[in-house]
Amino acid sequence: MGATLTYTEVELISGLLARDEKIFTYLYDHYSPALYGVALKVVGEEAAAGDVLQEVFVKIWRNIDRYDASKGRLFTWMLNITRNTAIDSLRSKNHKLEQRVQDVNSVALMYEPQLAVHLSVDHLGLTKVIEKLQKDQRIIIDMAYFKGHTQEEIARSLEIPLGTVKTRMRNAIIQLRTLLKQL
Amino acid sequence: MDVQRYISSGILESYVFGMLPETEQGEVETAVLQYPDVKAAVSSLQLDKERFVQLYAIAPPAGIKERLMEAIRLENTPEGNNLLPDELRAPAAAPANGKYHRREKAPKETPVKQLPVTKTSSNDRLWKYLTAAIVVLLIGSVVMNFFFFQKSTDYKSRYKSLIATKEKLEADKAQQSQASLKKTDSSALAEVDPLSNPDFKWTKITGGGAYAGNEVSVGWNARTQGVYLQATLMPVPPAGKQYQLWAIVNKKLVDAGVFETGAAVSQQLQQMKAMTVAQGFAITLEKKGGSPDPSMDQVCMSAKIAR
Repeated sequence: MGATLTYTEVELISGLLARDEKIFTYLYDHYSPALYGVALKVVGEEAAAGDVLQEVFVKIWRNIDRYDASKGRLFTWMLNITRNTAIDSLRSKNHKLEQRVQDVNSVALMYEPQLAVHLSVDHLGLTKVIEKLQKDQRIIIDMAYFKGHTQEEIARSLEIPLGTVKTRMRNAIIQLRTLLKQL
Repeated sequence: MDVQRYISSGILESYVFGMLPETEQGEVETAVLQYPDVKAAVSSLQLDKERFVQLYAIAPPAGIKERLMEAIRLENTPEGNNLLPDELRAPAAAPANGKYHRREKAPKETPVKQLPVTKTSSNDRLWKYLTAAIVVLLIGSVVMNFFFFQKSTDYKSRYKSLIATKEKLEADKAQQSQASLKKTDSSALAEVDPLSNPDFKWTKITGGGAYAGNEVSVGWNARTQGVYLQATLMPVPPAGKQYQLWAIVNKKLVDAGVFETGAAVSQQLQQMKAMTVAQGFAITLEKKGGSPDPSMDQVCMSAKIAR
């Protein structure tokens, strides 16, 4: 996000703690696309992603006093809330059988062209990164981050040893880092 | 701890991208507090992740912001509460004590405690489903038990009745075979049913004079020497007396035994003494129990065996 930021993280946090609606509006304007993108990627459906986004911002507003700067930046904290809320929503939805077996099977379809339609903001960069990531590395990041699978689940569904999951995850992130630097 | 090795193990990547089990998460968080290098690696990875997810950024639908702002503004009023999704609504009469108020329902959230929260709630859900599944299984098992118990009782009773039928059949069969054995035995011992056995020669002795109308049949089997008598029409003898049968052998009378007379025995075959030869039969009235020599004046009736 960098360029348009007019508040520092400290200012944002203290503003939220002070129940400053202007700060909250600013936070929404600047972070909602990223958070919505994650929610959409996880739940795969706009209406549900919108519900998740709303829930996430209410949680941010209410629980800002629990934010612990020593454990990561504000954005990381908000991302964590978003991912967890979205995965919870996805799971409860899956449990309601509204959306069956979307998990592992859909991993292969994740980079189908129609998904790029959503990715208006940075989609050139994304396509570039995604294309260059090896398929098994994309899959492991997706399963872990966007679908919330545990190492055991990933090891099982990819039929690789548990120890290999961490190694492969590390290689994937290293490659991802290199690709992101090229953008 | 070999920090570099730890950093390059892949555990930090797995941690930042949220795929570690709770125990390992705690481990990483401890390492972050202890080792600046680990902390630096983690925050660098967090930046990677932030940049990565920015790739997916997309403007949310327009209506959300307005709804959200209104909900925030009216947060502590029922109206505002109603604007929120169900799971975010505060329980009734939530304390509104300014900026630090906490809600029971709000999950405890810190950047790194995030995953545990998800895990816990998904664990809770897992337990719920497990419990539900177990209850369903239990009910199913009870039903099945009942069903199979019924069935087994049914089978038991059917089995018992089968056994009973089988025993009855066996008993019948045993009786039958015993009966047929008896039959065979008696036919071996003495001819079964001398009336229908062609080996028997039946001689009808009819009376005249005082004994007119009386009739006695005598059957003799020359092969087995068996002699049977049927007192078809013969009066009950006077008290102290009894009728006696004699075989006529070479014009002499040979004792063939006494016999009963009267209506009560008229249909009965009475076995007499066996005879090797006989040309005819005679009947005398003797003292009860019979006599070794015939009273010739008391011969009531006689007949020759037809050739």
